[in-house]
Amino acid sequence: MENRKSESHTSFSKKKTIWGRIFVWGALIIFLILLALGLLRTQKGPVGVGDKTPNFTLTTFDGEQISLSSLKGKVVLINFWASWCTPCEQEAAELEMAWQSYQGSGKVIFLGVDYVDTEPEAQAYLQKYNISYPNGPDLGTRISQAFRIRGVPETYILDQNGIIQFVQIGPFRSSSQIQSVIDSFLQP
Amino acid sequence: MIANIGYGALCITLVIAVYGIVAAIYGSQRKSPYWVDSARNAMLLTFPLLTLSVIALEILLVNGNYELDYVASVTSKSMPLYLKITALWGGQAGSLVFWTWVMSAFASAVTLRNWERDREFLPWVIVVALVTLTFFLGLIIFVENPFARVWVFGGSVIVKSMFPPAGAALFFQEDGRGLNPLLRHPGMIIHPPMLYIGFVAFVIPYAFAIAALITGRTDDRWIRITRRWTLVAWLFLSLGLLLGGRWAYDVLGWGGYWGWDPVEISALMPWLTGTAFLHSVMIQEKRGMLKHWNMVLIILTYDLVIFGTFLTRSGVLSSVHAFAQSSIGPLFFGFIGLTFVVSLSLLLNRWNELKSEAHLTSLLSREALFLLNNLLFLGILVVSFWGVIFPLLSELITGQKVTVGPPFYQRATAPLFAGLLLLMGIAPLSAWRHSTVQTLGKALWKPTIVSLFGPLIAAVFGIHYWAALLGFWLVAFVASVTFYEYGRAVIARSHSRSEPIWRAFWELAGRNRRRYGGYIIHLGVAMMGLGIIGVEMFQTETQGTIGPGQELKLGHYSISYDSIAIFDTSDGRNVARAVVNIYKDGHLVGEVYPRRDYYYESQQPMTIPGVRSTMEDDLYVILVDWKPVSTSMATFKIYHNPLVNWLWLGGLVFILGALVAAWPDRDEQTVRVKKKKESLVRSNA
Repeated sequence: MENRKSESHTSFSKKKTIWGRIFVWGALIIFLILLALGLLRTQKGPVGVGDKTPNFTLTTFDGEQISLSSLKGKVVLINFWASWCTPCEQEAAELEMAWQSYQGSGKVIFLGVDYVDTEPEAQAYLQKYNISYPNGPDLGTRISQAFRIRGVPETYILDQNGIIQFVQIGPFRSSSQIQSVIDSFLQP
Repeated sequence: MIANIGYGALCITLVIAVYGIVAAIYGSQRKSPYWVDSARNAMLLTFPLLTLSVIALEILLVNGNYELDYVASVTSKSMPLYLKITALWGGQAGSLVFWTWVMSAFASAVTLRNWERDREFLPWVIVVALVTLTFFLGLIIFVENPFARVWVFGGSVIVKSMFPPAGAALFFQEDGRGLNPLLRHPGMIIHPPMLYIGFVAFVIPYAFAIAALITGRTDDRWIRITRRWTLVAWLFLSLGLLLGGRWAYDVLGWGGYWGWDPVEISALMPWLTGTAFLHSVMIQEKRGMLKHWNMVLIILTYDLVIFGTFLTRSGVLSSVHAFAQSSIGPLFFGFIGLTFVVSLSLLLNRWNELKSEAHLTSLLSREALFLLNNLLFLGILVVSFWGVIFPLLSELITGQKVTVGPPFYQRATAPLFAGLLLLMGIAPLSAWRHSTVQTLGKALWKPTIVSLFGPLIAAVFGIHYWAALLGFWLVAFVASVTFYEYGRAVIARSHSRSEPIWRAFWELAGRNRRRYGGYIIHLGVAMMGLGIIGVEMFQTETQGTIGPGQELKLGHYSISYDSIAIFDTSDGRNVARAVVNIYKDGHLVGEVYPRRDYYYESQQPMTIPGVRSTMEDDLYVILVDWKPVSTSMATFKIYHNPLVNWLWLGGLVFILGALVAAWPDRDEQTVRVKKKKESLVRSNA
């Protein structure tokens, strides 16, 4: 009787060990697959200067729908940001300041794409920095995936033909830096 | 010529390393000391060869041989000599050379030790060290060669290669592009090598762990041999993390020191497992417990080092750190897979032999509390790892990328860090094996009462936020327990030996360096905790555009803009430097000079804050923008960072404690000398 008990105990702990091993190996394999997929995506590289951007439609926090194709003929600045992103805060006021100087001209449009965020926090952020250009959430991360962004903040400036002419990884340092880039595309 | 020597030395090192691996395995299988010694000599030979390669690269960097792509990308004529020298780790290819060189130094140093008692470990330690070295050498020679020159075909096509392609001419550049201005900071000059040394040194305990698994000698011998090496690795890694934080604070201009960026997390993860390991090995040494756990921790630490390097270099994850992307990602991936699979197979193979020799006898014993401490460290690791890997996972499963930001990490790790602080106060007062509520309570009540003054003082200063008060109590608790424990021992020694207090303090630290070094580290952590609470919970900021003589207010402070000067410097910068007066409650307390340097050659601006620093707080002023002379308005951003200097001061105390702990014990040496003498006496007799 005792023998049978200890036998069943051993077989139970053996089973436990086998399942433990299967679990550990499984976890390792999943981890490696994840890394491999991430790596494959990275090998494509980010969208860069000279590339044509895919069309997208941004639904702003006010409910307005803005499609990129409708902005042809204008210089478009697309800024990816998030309310949780500290470096974004560094450039928020600068972006707004730059926007103020183009707002009336009709030649330039700024679009803020809010990346992986929650609406109340995003709204609070926009209010904090008095941001007045159109901003909307990147629903389903479709826009950021199309641009293959690596993080926030990232800013893409498109010329009148929708071709990317300037990419800023990380925050802008000043509004004059933003203006000098945009002005170079506005020259006749 | 010099480039050829450097590259040649690398190639020879690779051949020698491969030979060393084969010889060590063959020697171990055949039980032939001849082949193992030969492998050991191969290991030792890698160091002078790599030193030659490093010297060659340094000469090229200092001379400004801009026909080499690496030299042109990280140096320029206007850079001062010290920056040219440190440009060795200013870019990817050079930092890989530096990495292999340091690794070879550590591995050679370890093979020079006396192996008489642990001969069976030797071949496998050599194999692990040389396999890692071979991998990195392969990366340098075949993918990221710092000695590669730039060639042109017919004046237009540019190719980077070591040797001239047919029909190509060498391309001589007039000047280099220069080091990224963000990296021209004393913190950044020392930060990467410290981090690399920390990373690399963890190879040594890992190599011994693997050797123990292969040879089946799974007692605590491998831990005792590598104790000091682990502490050294941990010391450098901690220093690297601290310097990185200081650099971010001084240079990045967002008033913070830690942003929970994947690159930062990838350096934190091995530190977390390394710290857990340093605590849990004590349990194996004292009680023969947690053998599996220690193996798992050291394997994880090594693999997280490789994983972290992969993350920072491959561009797999979103990061605000603009690291150069390169093609080394897939190779790193292969190496990660190899080390994980081999380590796991070996560990599972020996799993049953790693059984504990004892069981937990009390839930309040020191070993139980250490185990809890380990679980908390692992908890923080899981949060960090999950945050880093989650975007990849969500993209795979839902097709939608979801990233977690700093609030996730802050919320998830804050209670775990608080738990660690609490344990840091309780564990040093609990006893090994058996501790009860009564014994622990008796030991704890005095420092606990003293610690209540922490939140009380905070409350008197008008702080009523419960999380902050809890934080202040925890910090005060750790500090009072540490002082109580250390103070009690110092007074006892001073009384019993009639020594002056300072001498008793010194002698005590020298007698049991790990224990008292540990206390100093705990004190450093408490001080850092104070700084972190100050910045994370009470930081305030404002931004405004003001003209000369106008003021910008923030809390008790106000700044007044005095003037701005714009000038060129001899090292190729255009500097805009503002003069700003700082007032506290209406009284002038100082003058700061926030500035913006624009580097002509790399066309990059850099913001250097003007900081008024005291132990109470920092007023951190950034010059954001300025208008031409006609309007003379300037935009400033101000951060008020309370208590932040406690973070840096605590960091210094922390490093001092780590140094004390890592220093060889005097007793150990005495014992060794005594034993030698005894054996001499015996042999004479």
